[in-house]
This record gives sequence, structure tokens and C-alpha cells, in this order.
Amino acid sequence: MTGRRAFLRGALAAGATGAAGLGEPVPAGSAARPARGFHGEHQAGVLEEPARRTAVAAFDVIAGDRRELTDLMRALTERARALTSGGAPDEPGIAGPPADSGVLGPDVPGGGLLVTVGVGASLFDGRFGPAARRPPGLVRMPVFPDDDLDPAWCHGDLSVQLSAPDEDTVLHALRDITRHTRGAAQPRWRIGGFSAPPRPDGAPRNLLGFKDGTANPDPSDAREMDRLVWIGGRDPAAGGTYAAIRLIRMLVEFWDRVGLPEQERMFGRRRDTGAPLDGVHERDEPRYAEDPAGAVIPLTSHIRRANPRTAEASGRRILRRAFNYDRGMDGAGELDMGMIFTSYQRDLRAQFEAVQRRLAGEPLTDYVSPFGGGYFLVLPGVRDAADFLGRGLIT
Amino acid sequence: MRVSSIVVGAVVLLAASGDVVPGGAAPQRRVIDAAAGRCGAGWTAGRAGRRTLLVGNSGAAVAEVTLVDAATGAVHAEVEGLAPGTVRPVRVRLGAGAYRFRCAVEDAVDPVAGPVVRVVGPGRGGPAVVPVGESDLYGPARSYRAYVTGGLGRLASRTERLRDAVHRRDRAAARAAWTPAHLAYARLGAAYGAFGDLADAVDGLPAGLPGGAGDPGFTGFHRLERGLWRGEPMAGLAPVADRLARDVRALRAAFRDERVDPADLPLRAHEILEDTLRVELTGAADQGSGTALRTVAAHLEGTREVVGVLRPVLRPRFPALAEVDAWMDRLDALLRGRSSLGALAREERGRLNGTVGRLVELLASVATIAQPRRTR
Repeated sequence: MTGRRAFLRGALAAGATGAAGLGEPVPAGSAARPARGFHGEHQAGVLEEPARRTAVAAFDVIAGDRRELTDLMRALTERARALTSGGAPDEPGIAGPPADSGVLGPDVPGGGLLVTVGVGASLFDGRFGPAARRPPGLVRMPVFPDDDLDPAWCHGDLSVQLSAPDEDTVLHALRDITRHTRGAAQPRWRIGGFSAPPRPDGAPRNLLGFKDGTANPDPSDAREMDRLVWIGGRDPAAGGTYAAIRLIRMLVEFWDRVGLPEQERMFGRRRDTGAPLDGVHERDEPRYAEDPAGAVIPLTSHIRRANPRTAEASGRRILRRAFNYDRGMDGAGELDMGMIFTSYQRDLRAQFEAVQRRLAGEPLTDYVSPFGGGYFLVLPGVRDAADFLGRGLIT
Repeated sequence: MRVSSIVVGAVVLLAASGDVVPGGAAPQRRVIDAAAGRCGAGWTAGRAGRRTLLVGNSGAAVAEVTLVDAATGAVHAEVEGLAPGTVRPVRVRLGAGAYRFRCAVEDAVDPVAGPVVRVVGPGRGGPAVVPVGESDLYGPARSYRAYVTGGLGRLASRTERLRDAVHRRDRAAARAAWTPAHLAYARLGAAYGAFGDLADAVDGLPAGLPGGAGDPGFTGFHRLERGLWRGEPMAGLAPVADRLARDVRALRAAFRDERVDPADLPLRAHEILEDTLRVELTGAADQGSGTALRTVAAHLEGTREVVGVLRPVLRPRFPALAEVDAWMDRLDALLRGRSSLGALAREERGRLNGTVGRLVELLASVATIAQPRRTR
């Protein structure tokens, strides 16, 4: 059974590869979509497979009043539109320094850049209007039992994620956005990340050496995304989604001193293939019903806790988008690297926090340490040239 | 080779000169001459919008060329130091109107005006600025000189008071005298370009010294600050105070013979606060006194003075001048009654950083707008 499914998948994967013509296997469920335009019901950067490079930044809004906040959101929208569309920068003549940093050459190439903007609960603390305007689903990220949060790396009024195939594209966009929002939004924390290419195939690996994101719902399944990810109905935030961003240090040196069987039992997957410990291939479904005592896939393993494959859990799945980060070393000379975990869902409590509760105390927590992040409402998409991010919701 | 006569040959010439025409707006194939004798030759008509004009120098001398509004003289684009035989793509955004090139041999007095060219079609033009002449800056430079001279006088007398307190080995009095003396210096910030090595001697930090804070080359206000606030014996600080007082006197004497370069003034508008961001707001400067925010306020005063003396020049040319004033007031309000950076809450510090950041973004344009240029 397993082998047959694998054969079919192989054929599909080969087809996809042929179509893309890149010689890189495309993970199942990520049929190459044409590059989308800037305008749309949803923002970009949620459903797309993680780009190779990313930067996640949180900002404090220091705008003086609601009018200035509106100006900020317009500026942010205008820059996101310009940066993703590309083109020639404005010519200042002798009226000022160059309008563009020039990092991407004289003309900004369009495409490839994804800009995703969110707002945090703190934006609705009364500074810019009645606190009652806060969407009820938008709350401040709590402290979870295994966390070791550093306030300098947590929360924020705004989140901006910039993703692109190349680092220079990401940093160009970051410089452009901070330049155009200075005085209205001040960077609070930021972190750069990357997504690994398939090694050698399937979901990209995290820095513990394991494939990550294999069990994601299919982002090309619009009904599934409406059910799990996008806020819908008459909610003023319809078209948006809630993001849980978690900055998770991985104690990689400690991890590297752990025997492979123990590593694999913690995850519940094989390190080499990514297959569940009762399977052969990465995308084989674990059969928990046949293993009620966790003899093969321990009950405390990450994949079993995160997604027990019950009917109830199925409706509460999250869309996870993980990037690896590397930020030097700590005071003891240990390498500081880990994961920028982002999950998207309609309901933070029912989805992300439910997973988080199930994961509490899992053996893996000895090797990872969440130190930052926050909850953000990824704003609905910008509909047209007259629309702007957060219009009607926060302005 | 006469570039102006070559139409198709533009590509050849470009290849020869090693220049590359960037993509985007399609470059006009014809090269426009910047040589004084043939100024503007090759440009006869244009359409509004974003354009990349190829400007080449067929002459034998280095050329300076500007593209100006024929009626107002406002500059749309400028190429300095165009070597003979080279072509440079110049990106402009032109609205409908009448334009001409002005060409000059570098360092020669009078530029030559090219023929007036009509640009037609829809589309707004980019910003253009009526150039500021060096003589327009004489008045501001004179006013600024008077400001610095007055400030140096205050600095000298306050530094004497500080030195006396150190000699009396009265730490409390010395600390009390240190801050006003240092602020008197900080208000002059804009003049650091004119102060040369004495600036480092008076207000330098340990950065760049092989021995760091213990380096004998670490002198001046911050060296004294370190000693006064970190409990160094007062006796050991007397030579430091003497040296500071001596350097301040030397500074004052040197400035009497120093001319304030009018071309420096527009640069100072944002450079003072650039330094503030880099040195004060990062906390790098504080050696113990906890007065970084008072220093920032003094830098703001210095910036206000520069903007103030340049105001007549900026008013007709710099649309963001009122915005600059508003942001300077905002910064002033944030700093009032504040002294120590460490006492600020995180959000307050972010607001302060962002406010200074916004100001330097706005003030950066003063440097390009008010840079002295030929005015005719």
C-alpha cells in the first residue's frame, strides 16, 4: 500500500518537476503557482512555500495619532506595492539623495519579493482609537510553560515579513520600508532566516537535521485554507489570518550529542527520509490506531503530539511555515541558531494554542528554547490601487 | 571623435567608454553634448515622462552639465566631472515644458546655455530646485560663524570653571561644572569639520585608540567624565582638566583664523544628528555622567542654528522645511527634562530614535538642495 502510493506520488512529482523545468523536486501540494500580483483578497507570503530568504521584523508604531497611523499604513502599502511590482525608482535630481539604495541595481526587479504585514494586539491599546476596535481573536502571545521569552524579542504593534529568493532582495526591501516609515514606526526586533533546499527531496530540513512541514495542510486546496487559515464571513478582518510567530533557539550542539534513535523517537520520524517511524516514505501517514501504546512512534513524540490525526485535531490544524535562523553565538560560545516558526490559522486559541498545549513538556523541549515572537493579525489583502493595508480595520 | 554627430554610433561609443546603459526607461539613442562649445547639441525635442538621456562630453576639458527648466532655471539633473570622451546616462522625469542644458568647463566661471527644447505630453515631472549660489551662503556662513564664536567663548569660560573645580579636588563641584561645559561644546557640534584634530582631543571617545579608555591618547571631556563618575582619584584628573582647558583655548584661537566654508553648512544640517544617532543614542558616548539626552538636546540646538541660518535659502526650495520644524519641536518635547538614556522606558527610547531618524531623513535633502552651484 505504502509503496504504491509512493509510486503515484513519484510520478506526480516528476511531472511537476518537468513542468517547472528546474530539476528541483517540488514538494507535494505545492504545485507551482504563477507569481501573483500585489492586489488580492489575501496578502502574499502565507500560502507560498517558504522562499529561500526571509526577514521578520516587528515595529512599534510611534505615530502621534490616528491620522499619522493612516499615513503609515498608506506608506507601507505603497512601498509594498512598489517593491513587489518593481520598476524605476523616482529621480530626485538635486532635491535629495537617491530615492533607492541601488542594492538591486538601477531598476528594482519586480517579482520574487513577498511582503506580509500584520498588526499586534498592542496597536489597539487605545492610542489610535477605542480599544474595543481590537479584533477579538487578536490577543497578546502568552508565556507558555517551556518558554524563556526575552522581552526585547517579543510582540510589537506591526509585523513585516519579507521573503525572496535572494538575501539582497530582502534587505533592499527592509531598508526601503524602514526609510519610508521612519518617525511613524520604529523597528522593535528583527531576525533574518532562510529555508533550506530539499535535502535531497521533500520538505526542507530544520537545523536539527529533520524535515519540517511534511504534514502541512495543502495550501493549494482553497476550501481547506478557508476552513483552517483565512478569517472569513462578516468579520472585519475577513481575508486576513492570525499568525503565531515564535523564535525558537535550537541547542544544536547538545542535540548533536544525542544518539540517532533517541532523536528519531523525539520527532517520531526518521531523520534520513523524514518518514514516520512506522512508514517508509516521508509522506506516509502514521498509523497511530495500530500503535496505541506508542511502541513505534512514542506517544510523547513531536509529530504525535502536534497532530494526533484525530478528527477533532484535523479541523484544528495549522499552516506552518518555518525558516531557519542563525545569529552568531551566545555568552558561552554556543552557536545561536534555530527556527523562525510561523503558523497561520483562523483562530489562535483553537488551533495554535491547542497544538502548543499538546506539545507542552514533550522531550524535544530540552533541546529547544523559544525566546521571542508574538501574535499578529495578518491584514486582509489590498484590493486595488485605492485600497491600503488595514483600511477600515485600524484607521 | 565628435559624439554629437554620431547617432547610431552611440552604442559604439558607450562600449568604448565602458559605460553601461541601465534598463528601464529606454535610453534616447542620440548622445547629447555637454562640451561647452556644443552645449545641448543632439537634443531637439522630447516627450514627458521618465527618460534616460545620454549625455556625452566631446570636448577636451572636464565638463559640468545641468538640465534646467528654461524659464525658472530650476535644476532637474546634474552631472559633475564628466570626462572628455565619456557618455553618461542621466535619468530624469520631465513634465511638459521648456528645458535647456547648461554646460561649463569645470572651474570656469560662466556656463554656456544650450538651445531651449520643448517637452510635450502628459505626465508630471520630477522635483527641480533653483540652484543655490555660493554667494547665497555667505550670509548664513557669517551668522553661523558668529554663533560658533559666541559658543566658543562660553565653552572656554565654563571649561576654566571645570578645571578649577578639579584642581580644588572637589568632585561634586567638578561634576556639576562638567555638564554645562560639555553641553557648550555639544551645541557647536556642527562645526566639527572646522575643528580638525582638536575636536578629537576635546570630545573624543576611546574608540580607535589601541589602549582603549586607558590609552594616553584618550583626552578631553569624556576622559574627564570617566574619571569623575567612576571614582578615579581627583589628583590624577588635574592634568586631564589642564589639557582640556588648553585644547579648548587652542580651539578658540584657531577658529579666529578659520573660515567657515559655506559649502560645509548644508552638510551639517543632517550630519550633527547622524552623529547623535550613532554616538549618543546608542549609549556609546556615555562615560558615566548619564547626560546623553542633554547632549542630544544640545545637538538639536546646533541643528536648529544651522537650519535657522539657512532658512532664507531653504524657504523657497525645500518643501519639507515646515515638517523639519515640526519634527525638531517634537524632538525638543521628547527631550525636555530628560538626561539619562538608561532612564528611558523601551517605548520612549524607540520614539526618540524614530524621531531623530525621521529628522535625519528629512534633513538629508538640505545637503543636496543647498550645496553651492553655479546659478546662471
